[in-house]
Amino acid sequence: MVERLSFYLERSSPLHRLNPTTKLVVAFTLILVAFLGPGLLLPSLIFLLILTPLSFVGQVGREFLRTTVRLLLPLFAFLFVMQSLFYPGGKTVLFGFWIFSVKLEGVRFAFLTATRVLVMVSSFLLLLFTTHPGVLLLDLTQRGLPASVAYILASTLQIIPQMQAKAATILDAQRSRGLDTSGSLGRRIRALLPLVGPLVFGSLVDVEERAIAIEARGFRSSRPKTSLVEIEDRPLERALRWLCLLAIILALGSRLWP
Amino acid sequence: MRISIEDVHFVYPGGVEALRGVSLSIEPGERVAIVGQNGAGKTTLVKHLNGLLRPTRGRVRIGDWDTAQVEVHRLAQRVGYVFQNPDGQLFCRTVAEEVAFGPRNLGYTPEEISQRVAEALALAELEDKAEANPYDLSPSWRKMVALASVIAMDTPIVIFDEPTTGQDVRTIRRIERMIEMLSQRGKTILTITHDIDFCAENFERVVVMGQGRVLLDGPKEMVLGMEAILAQTYVEPPQLTRLGMRLGFEKTVCTSEQFLETLRRRLDHPQSDPRAEG
Repeated sequence: MVERLSFYLERSSPLHRLNPTTKLVVAFTLILVAFLGPGLLLPSLIFLLILTPLSFVGQVGREFLRTTVRLLLPLFAFLFVMQSLFYPGGKTVLFGFWIFSVKLEGVRFAFLTATRVLVMVSSFLLLLFTTHPGVLLLDLTQRGLPASVAYILASTLQIIPQMQAKAATILDAQRSRGLDTSGSLGRRIRALLPLVGPLVFGSLVDVEERAIAIEARGFRSSRPKTSLVEIEDRPLERALRWLCLLAIILALGSRLWP
Repeated sequence: MRISIEDVHFVYPGGVEALRGVSLSIEPGERVAIVGQNGAGKTTLVKHLNGLLRPTRGRVRIGDWDTAQVEVHRLAQRVGYVFQNPDGQLFCRTVAEEVAFGPRNLGYTPEEISQRVAEALALAELEDKAEANPYDLSPSWRKMVALASVIAMDTPIVIFDEPTTGQDVRTIRRIERMIEMLSQRGKTILTITHDIDFCAENFERVVVMGQGRVLLDGPKEMVLGMEAILAQTYVEPPQLTRLGMRLGFEKTVCTSEQFLETLRRRLDHPQSDPRAEG
C-alpha cells in the first residue's frame, strides 16, 4: 500500500528543482504582499496570475486547485454570509430580504479577507507540494536554523499525514472487531474511544521512539554536521530572493505612505 | 463456512494494481498459509475477506454473503482478522475488557461473552494476566492479547497477518498451540507469513503469491518443492526441505517428522536409494 507521509508530490519540474529556501521566501513574499499591498483585487490577481500558473509549471496544477478548493470553500461560504450580513458600519445596501440586508462594504471586506486567506493557504500548499520536507529543513539548518526548531517544523509538516495513516489502520482493526462506526450520534461518540485510545497512545510511543532515533544520530551534538545531499543554489535565485525583499518593502511602503 | 474468491482484481486509489485476477476457494476447516514477497498482494487479498477492501472487479463470498454487499462490522461475525501490530487496537484498561470488546460488538449475551472471554484467555495462555493493563505487558504478550481479542469473537474463519514476526520461539510455540486448538474446533485458518518454517510446520495448504497473482496453490508437500517458482517471489523452501532435495529424497519433506521418517526408511533399505547403487 502506498502511504503518503507528507504533502510532497514527486514530479520532475523546474519548480521542484528550485532551491527550497527560494520557494519559502517567495511564498512569504506573496503572502505579505497580499496582506499589505493596495487594492481590492491584488490578492486575487496574485492567486490567478502567479500561484495558479506556477502550480502548472510545477506539474501539480490539478492537485493544487482541488486541495485549495476543498480546504477553503466551506470557510469562504461562512465568511461571505457572516460579513455581508453583519459587517459593522455598512451603508450601501445591495439587496434586502426579511430582516436582513446585504451590504456592499461587507461583501468587499469578505472578498478581500477571503482572497488574502486564499493566497496564504495556497502559496504554502504549493510550497509543500513541490518541496520535500526533508530537503527544505536540511537547507534551512545549513543556513543556520537551530536543529531543534527544524525538528519542530518537520514534525508539524509530517504529523497530519502520519496520523491519518495510523488512524486508518486503527479504524480497520476496530471495524474488524465488529465496531460499528455508522448510525446515530450517540453510537458514533461511543465508537470514538476505541479509535482515539490507540491513536493517542501510539503517537506518544512514536514520539519517544523518534527522540531516541534522532539522538542516536547525534541530534544534540554541537559539532558542525555534514550532509550527503547537496542542495543547489544558483546566483539567479539569490537575486530573486533580494527582489522578493524589495517587493515586501514596496508593499510595506504603500501601506505606510498611501 | 466456505470462502470463495472469484477472479478478483483490485486497484488502489493511487492507481497501483495490487491484485490481478485472483481465484481461490477455501473449504471449512482448512489451514492455509499465504506466502510471497513484500508487495505481492497478500494483505490486500485478505482485507477483501472481511470487507475492508472491495474488489474493483470480481467477487468474494463468505458462505452465502457477498462481501461487497455486507458492512465490515457485520462481516466480523464470520471473519476474525488479527492485525500485525497489536498496538493499533488495544485501548481498554484490562486484558479481560479488551478481549470482551469484540464479542460485545457482535451482540452476544453477557453469559456468552464471559464464556468466550474465558476460553480465549485460556487459548492465549493469558488467564493469569486477565486483570493486567495491556500496555503494562511486554510486546509479545500484547500480541497474545490481540490474538485473544479476535479469537473471543468465535468466528468460523480466523485470519492472522504475520503472527510470528518479531516473536521468540516461546511465543511462536504458544501461537502454534493456539492454531492447533482452533483447528480442532473446526475453524478455517488463514495466515500471511514470511516465516517459512512456521508455514511448513503448521499449515497443510500453501498459496504462493507474486505480483498480484497466485503463482502456486496446493498441499505444502507439492508447493514447497517448487524451488524455481518460489524463487520468483523471493521465497526459499524451508531448510529441511532443501536438505531433503540435496539428499535426493523422492518426496518433498516439510517437517522434521517427515524428514526423519524418510531418512529412517532409506537407512533401513539402502538398496532402494538410487545413489547408493551408483
